[in-house]
Amino acid sequence: MVAAKKTEETHESINNRLALVMKSGKYTLGYKTVLKSLRSSKGKLIIIANNCPPLRKSEIEYYAMLCIVGVHHYNGKLQKQLEAAGTFPPSFLHSFLCRLGLGVICFSKSLKSYIPRIQICIE
Amino acid sequence: MVKFLKSNKAVIVLQGRYAGRKAVIVRSFDDGTRDRPYGHCLVAGIKKYPSKVIRKDSAKKTAKKSRVKCFVKLVNYQHLMPTRYTLDVDLKDVVTVDALQTKDKKVAACKATKERFEERFKTGKNRESESFWIRITRLHAREVSLAFLL
Repeated sequence: MVAAKKTEETHESINNRLALVMKSGKYTLGYKTVLKSLRSSKGKLIIIANNCPPLRKSEIEYYAMLCIVGVHHYNGKLQKQLEAAGTFPPSFLHSFLCRLGLGVICFSKSLKSYIPRIQICIE
Repeated sequence: MVKFLKSNKAVIVLQGRYAGRKAVIVRSFDDGTRDRPYGHCLVAGIKKYPSKVIRKDSAKKTAKKSRVKCFVKLVNYQHLMPTRYTLDVDLKDVVTVDALQTKDKKVAACKATKERFEERFKTGKNRESESFWIRITRLHAREVSLAFLL
């Protein structure tokens, strides 16, 4: 029970931050744009959803390793992630404010959504 | 946050005639050029890998088996799989965009890279990049390259 609660809590915080970034940060959604932003070293954080196919997940992790970018494994599927971020359903989401230093986490985010899987790259 | 598509990086070509082949980035154009408005790079790669040499091969046979055939190409970043390996071969003077203009120049560039590759292969200094000379058995280039890298 306690363990479950703990994950709940951390989920909450990630979701909150996600929502924040979605509202006022820079992000891109989807596999292709994630790789693009990694190659141009613009990404700062990548969020990969649960139901991302393992090969693709490994590939993104490898790229992230090469450019020393953090990867966060979100414990849930795309829709959930986007719901958390307060947008549903998404087709394409772009917000172009550059957000830094909220006292919480510095993101300028790139989120990538690819229904039904999400990899979010946070710039 | 670190740029990793730089010169001397070993990459694997994913698409085209040379899919599955390993190559080295000679020069990268991150922002593209007018002709190619996308990130791309000039790579020199292995067209034909050196074969396996066994103990009982004669010197003549060894020489023949250790030949490397090269290609020089401008490739879109999207069609490359970067690796964490580098190959220190000095190709900057030999392989230029200019060399791709005419067939003669291209052949000359390929011959020059062939020499340098073969020399590197034979001296075999760098332990890590020894795997550069090993052919990936071709399935789907992306999958296999990933399995290979990990």
